[in-house]
Amino acid sequence: MSEFINENPVVLDNNQLPSRKDGGSQEFLLGDVTDEESVQRKKLLFKLDHSAKSPALESVELLDRLLLLDAPPDLTSDEESEETEEDFHDASETEKADPIDAQEIYDLLAHITDPEHPISLGQLSVVNLEDIEVHDSGNKEEMAEVIVRITPTITHCSLATLIGLGIRVRLDRALNPRFRITILLKKGSHQSENQVNKQLNDKERVAAACENDQLLSVVSKMLSTCK
Amino acid sequence: MLSLVKSLKLHKDRIWSIDESNGLLATGSSDRCIKIVNLKDNKFELVDELDDTVHKKAIRSVSWRPHSMLLAAGSFDSTISIWNREESGDELSSGVLEMELLAIIEGHENEVKSVAWSNDGLYLASCSRDKSVWIWEADETGEEYECISVLQEHSQDVKHVIWHPSLQLLASSSYDDTIRIWNDFDDDWEAVAVLTGHEGTVWSSDFEEVESNLRLCSGSDDSTVRVWKYLGDDEDDQQKWICQSILPQIHTRAIYSVAWGTNGLIASTGSDGLLAIYQEKEEGQWEIIAKRALAHGVLETNIVKWLQIDGNILLATGGDDGYVNIWKLKET
Repeated sequence: MSEFINENPVVLDNNQLPSRKDGGSQEFLLGDVTDEESVQRKKLLFKLDHSAKSPALESVELLDRLLLLDAPPDLTSDEESEETEEDFHDASETEKADPIDAQEIYDLLAHITDPEHPISLGQLSVVNLEDIEVHDSGNKEEMAEVIVRITPTITHCSLATLIGLGIRVRLDRALNPRFRITILLKKGSHQSENQVNKQLNDKERVAAACENDQLLSVVSKMLSTCK
Repeated sequence: MLSLVKSLKLHKDRIWSIDESNGLLATGSSDRCIKIVNLKDNKFELVDELDDTVHKKAIRSVSWRPHSMLLAAGSFDSTISIWNREESGDELSSGVLEMELLAIIEGHENEVKSVAWSNDGLYLASCSRDKSVWIWEADETGEEYECISVLQEHSQDVKHVIWHPSLQLLASSSYDDTIRIWNDFDDDWEAVAVLTGHEGTVWSSDFEEVESNLRLCSGSDDSTVRVWKYLGDDEDDQQKWICQSILPQIHTRAIYSVAWGTNGLIASTGSDGLLAIYQEKEEGQWEIIAKRALAHGVLETNIVKWLQIDGNILLATGGDDGYVNIWKLKET
C-alpha cells in the first residue's frame, strides 16, 4: 500500500473510549461520533471535566451528566440498571444467567487495529458502543444475537470488508457459538454498502477467507492489539 | 413429529455436506476429512475415514456416483477428489470400506462449493466462487475426466448444483440471487431458464422426483423456501418457469439446505438451527407438518437429506457441531 486511503482520520484518545467506568454517562460520552464536529464537541466536553467554567456548559442536561462523571462509580447499581435496560427477558431468568451486553462486545472490538493506521477501531470511531445491538438471555441453551454496525472513516473505504472480517473473526473466537453475529456497515456510511454487507455475512465466504493464510495473517495483525 | 433416532459425533469441526447411497452416508467437513458411516441394520457404524491430507482446505461438498462405490468431494482448495472402493461388489462384511483416492480434478480457479453426479453416473457437475459451473464427463472406471462445458452465466459465486433425478437437467443456485436451469443440446449445455424472485443468495435447490410435473424447491438467505414450476418451452427452446409457492415462513435466518423427498415432502434447515417439514395439501398449497428447533443445539445446521434405509424414510442433518443427526418423521 503506497498511499493511505484516508490520510487524516479523526482520532479519539484511548481514555475517551466508552467503558464501564463511565457509568451512567455513557450515552452522552458517545453521542453520535460519526462526524468531525461532534467529535470536536466531545473533545471539548471532555476538557470541561476539568474546567467547569467553559462556555460549552450551557445545557443543564449536559452539566448534570458531567457531574455524574465526577461522582464515584457505584458498580452494583450500574449493573442493575444495565440489566433492566438491555435485557428483554424477565428478572428471575437474568439472575441465574449472565448475559453479554453491548459494552462487553465493544471492549472486544475497540482495540482492534485499523489495517491502515496504527490506531484502534475504537479511537477511529469505526466501532461505536451505540451501534452495537445484543439480544442475549444469558441462557446457554438458547441462541443469541449480536449486530455490529461499523462506520468506515470514509465512504469509499476499500478496507471496509477487511475491517468487517477482522471484527467477525474476533467475535467468532471470543463468543460462545450460540451467538449469531451480523456485521453491517452503518446506513449511508459506504458507497457499496449492500455489497459489503452481503459479503461479510456470507458464512461460506467468511469460512473460506479464514482458510486464506495471507488474509488471516493480516487479520491476526489487526487483532494482535486486542486486550 | 420429528424424533431423533441417532446422533453421531463424526468431526472435530463443522460438517458442510452429507450424501447417502446404498445405506452409506458420506460426510465432508471443515476438518478436511471425509467419513463414511454404514446406516444399514441400525448399525450406524463408522466404516471409513478417508485420508485427510489430500485436501489442503475444507471439504465443502460430497456426492456418491449412482450405482457405484465412487465418491466425489469438492474442496475450498479448488480441487475435486474422486474416491473408490478397491473391491466393489461384495458385501460389507469386515465393517471396513477402505476407499482409495482415484483421481484429483483441477480446473476451478478458487473454492469448489458443490459437486453432483448425474442420475446416470455419466456426468459430474461442479461449481465454484469463480462464478462458473463445469460439467465433466467421466469414463467407466471413474479415473478419467474430460471437461465438456464451462457454464459462465452466473454473475457471482455459484453455491450449489443439483441434477434432476431422471432427466438430463441441471440446476445451479448462486450468490447472484438466481437459480439457472441448464439443458443438454447434443453435448452442448445451455441455460434454458433463470429463476428470479429470491431476495438473497440461493444456497440450495432440489428437484421433485416426478417426471410428469417438473418442479424445483429452493432455499435462500432471504429465509424463504420457494417452489418453482416448469410450464413449457417457448419457440427459442427456453423453458418457462414460475414461482408457484412461497412455503409458510418459519425460518428466521438464512436457509442453507432444502431437500425434496420421494414421499413428496420438503425439508429445510439453516442458520437458525430449525428443521422444518412441509407437506402439499393440494398443488401449490403447503403446510408445515413437523418442526424441530435447535436440531444441532445452539449451532447452525448446514445440510439436510432424505434417506431411505431398510425401507424406512429418515432424515439426516449435519451441523456446525460436527454431528450428523438422524431423524424419523412420525405421524401425529
